[in-house]
Amino acid sequence: MAFTLYSLLQAALLCVNAIAVLHEERFLKNIGWGTDQGIGGFGEEPGIKSQLMNLIRSVRTVMRVPLIIVNSIAIVLLLLFG
Amino acid sequence: MQPGPGGGGAAAGSARHRKWPMKRRVPVAEPSLADPHQLFHDTSSAHGPGGYPVHRTPGGLGYASPSQPAFLADPVSNMAVAYGSSLAAHGKELVDRNIDRFIPVTKLKYYFAVDTVYVGKKLGLLVFPYLHQDWEVQYQQDVPVAPRFDINAPDLYIPAMAFITYILVAGLALGTQDRFSPDLLGLQASSALAWLTVEVLAILLSLYLVTVNTDLTTIDLLAFSGYKYVGMIGGVVTGLLFGRTGYYLVLGWCCVAIFVFMIRTLRLKILSEVAAEGVLVRGARNQLRMYLTMAIAAAQPLFMYWLTFHLVR
Repeated sequence: MAFTLYSLLQAALLCVNAIAVLHEERFLKNIGWGTDQGIGGFGEEPGIKSQLMNLIRSVRTVMRVPLIIVNSIAIVLLLLFG
Repeated sequence: MQPGPGGGGAAAGSARHRKWPMKRRVPVAEPSLADPHQLFHDTSSAHGPGGYPVHRTPGGLGYASPSQPAFLADPVSNMAVAYGSSLAAHGKELVDRNIDRFIPVTKLKYYFAVDTVYVGKKLGLLVFPYLHQDWEVQYQQDVPVAPRFDINAPDLYIPAMAFITYILVAGLALGTQDRFSPDLLGLQASSALAWLTVEVLAILLSLYLVTVNTDLTTIDLLAFSGYKYVGMIGGVVTGLLFGRTGYYLVLGWCCVAIFVFMIRTLRLKILSEVAAEGVLVRGARNQLRMYLTMAIAAAQPLFMYWLTFHLVR
């Protein structure tokens, strides 16, 4: 069971990369997960789908620049230390 | 050629000596810290040349001892000692002022406000939660009461101690099977910590997706996820003493107990007020919340088995 904290960090980085890669126009709109398609009724609780769409949109907006930095660091570390 | 670099080296050496006093290499044995937990030499008394504590006095601060090393009589090193100690004091002040931004120390203190009676009762509750009636956390003017006064309040003392004990018991179990090596202890520790992090993050994500308005903080979730280590320790110890059947029996008992404990505790926090009282409330939202509670509670036995089965042969 070699599940270390470092592999957890790697897995988290890969997951965040996967979310950041989803393209708004080419993909999310086609499966109905675009951000302008999710606005439900205003007085009600947002359902799981709209929460997920909000989460995807916020991850894509917020993590774009830090992901560049963290990915570069990860690439350099992997090249140096395998 | 020789004197040039030698002179330059000596001049540079003494300049370095004056600028960074802590890093100088001394041929005499380095005066090591008397108390290994002290981070800096405490020279705040401005005692002059006797700044370095050579032996430990009962007061905890070693002042000038009669046999001070000869190199400390040098006025340059006096200045160095004074400068270094002021730097250390300044650094300590900086850390004290800013620590609250990264680790909420005052909030953490609440979780460690426990006493022996609470720990005893809580451990009993973790193993046998079937007779306890009132699971509601008491509040005192909107602030939850300290764990010392309310057995239902979550604390971090039991999970922390149980985690460390689990690592030690894992080392013991590996040792009885001739599989022990010191780095395996670190591996077990980081593995268990990683699974804990994954679990807390998954719970946070699912709480966000289901839009539960709860006052469960991250530290609360950490505390609840840490309670399963108690059952794990019991299982592994019984497995060491009585073999696999003992391990399965005790682990099964502790799994069911933790399941019931988590459901009864989380039901009050996650479900809405009415549903928590046992009335069957229809509606997709409450059903979803009930499923979420049951999923969180069911993940505990899974983790308990996953983290211990390789320890008992």
